[in-house]
Amino acid sequence: MLTTSLASLRLRNPVMSASGTFGSGWEGRTFADLSRVGALVSKTVTLRPRHGNPPPRIFETPAGMLNSIGLENKGVDWFLADTLPKMKSLGTTVIVNIGGEAIDEFVVLAERFSRAGVDALEVNLSCPNVQEGRLLFSTEPRLTEQAVAAVKRVATVPVFAKLSPNVTDITAIARAAEQGGADGITAINTLIGMAIDWRRRRPVLGRGIGGLSGPAIKPVALRMVWEIARVVKIPVLGVGGIRSAEDVLEFLCAGATAVQVGTAGFADPALMVRIVDELPSLLAAANVTLADVRGALHAAPAAAPAEGCARAGHERVRG
Amino acid sequence: MQTSLHPLRRLRDLGGGSLAVEVDGPIPATLPGQFFMLRTGERWPVLLPRPFSLYDRADDGSWGSFLIKAIGPGTRALADTQPGEKIWLTGPLGRPFPPEERDPICVAGGVGLAPFLLLARQRHRQRQRTRLLFGGRSRAALAGIDDFAGIAEVHASTDDGSHGFRGMVTALLLDLLGKGTVRAGESVFCCGPDPMMVAVAKVCEQHGLRCFLSLETYMACGYGVCNGCTVKVQGPRFHGWPYSKTCTEGPVYEACELVHDH
Repeated sequence: MLTTSLASLRLRNPVMSASGTFGSGWEGRTFADLSRVGALVSKTVTLRPRHGNPPPRIFETPAGMLNSIGLENKGVDWFLADTLPKMKSLGTTVIVNIGGEAIDEFVVLAERFSRAGVDALEVNLSCPNVQEGRLLFSTEPRLTEQAVAAVKRVATVPVFAKLSPNVTDITAIARAAEQGGADGITAINTLIGMAIDWRRRRPVLGRGIGGLSGPAIKPVALRMVWEIARVVKIPVLGVGGIRSAEDVLEFLCAGATAVQVGTAGFADPALMVRIVDELPSLLAAANVTLADVRGALHAAPAAAPAEGCARAGHERVRG
Repeated sequence: MQTSLHPLRRLRDLGGGSLAVEVDGPIPATLPGQFFMLRTGERWPVLLPRPFSLYDRADDGSWGSFLIKAIGPGTRALADTQPGEKIWLTGPLGRPFPPEERDPICVAGGVGLAPFLLLARQRHRQRQRTRLLFGGRSRAALAGIDDFAGIAEVHASTDDGSHGFRGMVTALLLDLLGKGTVRAGESVFCCGPDPMMVAVAKVCEQHGLRCFLSLETYMACGYGVCNGCTVKVQGPRFHGWPYSKTCTEGPVYEACELVHDH
């Protein structure tokens, strides 16, 4: 009933973990039966080990949190030897998220993980916490296309491009990823933000700025998923602030094929499975199927000059 | 490890704004120094749960309690919970105080007392003594001290002299070293505010005591996936990696493992 086709993958359901928020899944295995989630997406793996950023690395903000972890990970050799076998043993689809500072690095990672038999790759073009805050690939359509195309040339599994919301027009980047051959778009990564301790005249985070996640960014994520889904033919993986089955259906309605649960899983490691459990009853209560909801958002009015019009538009959206 | 909902049994006022939040079990077996992530089932006002050491536990796990001082929105929500209302518990998490230490000296400040009641209780059951040094500004700041009656050898200190030794807990530790109640070569387990732990670690270093600190850091998950609670470390346990997750490799570290950037 919840089975979801995503590129060439067939998922048990559309609910997966968001990269960087659930480790490899192994850390959460005692809290819930993870074979019941649609897929597990690993924390970003880089070619060489990365120590990450100086603490403090996280800070809670209204309905969200800032992080500047800095892609701390032990590198591809460690991941292949230690982590991937554990991840595979969890009994669901395994997607490995890869990160690099140069296209060559993405290519090596894509080759090695394809050979290692992962189910799919997610290319992190958009971490805000490395490169001194410069978003190397995902703010430039041309570089996005080149990076994705280079990965696609060597990858033997589906490739999803994870995009940054910190751009003027995300649809241009999404189109570039599609042009490069991406099998899907993951949207969105975190919004760059900041917290300040005015008494010490210092930023709260060790690195100054960080990525904002959690329910606070859900409206932004919904808007961007909706915008992307209208301009590309490849599937969109929606992510940003999801913490309930209702949220999942909102993203599917906006045009997402599947979704990723991130920050909310910090508070509740069993949340993804709980959402999977709730989806059928939520759909049944509304007497609809996933297919009825997916991409079924009625067009909103192009402009809503007056409050009355906005309300009318809202009602239409709710259909 | 598990995540589950537990009805509140009662809130026990310990004075000085501190409470023992007592919940129904089953509470899994937990080692002193391990912690749980807590949030209220309803009306949790923030996004992330908060970490608390397990303060006390029935022998059969039928109830457990957490020592809480209401200082922020999360702790206030826990303190406002009514009996019967439910609290989410995730745990037990983290690396405990080294269980193999045969006769540790516990040094606590404020709600840093939390890990030591479980320790004293478990040791008392095995007919082992526990020395507890507990410091605060005044008698009112020694919330929970009465819970140790009969199960630990309690040495209290207050800055204003309103109870026990007059002075800071580090001065009390030095006093007990002078009297031979504490001796070089023994181990100290310490939990409290950062400045106090730094001072205690320094005394330990100067007097040949091993020192284990239970850190309190900002955590999002508590189970090793957010990589947000890291501290800077050194030593063979970390194989050259400069950071350590306090939720899984801590919260207890030997003082010499921690690197302070100044």
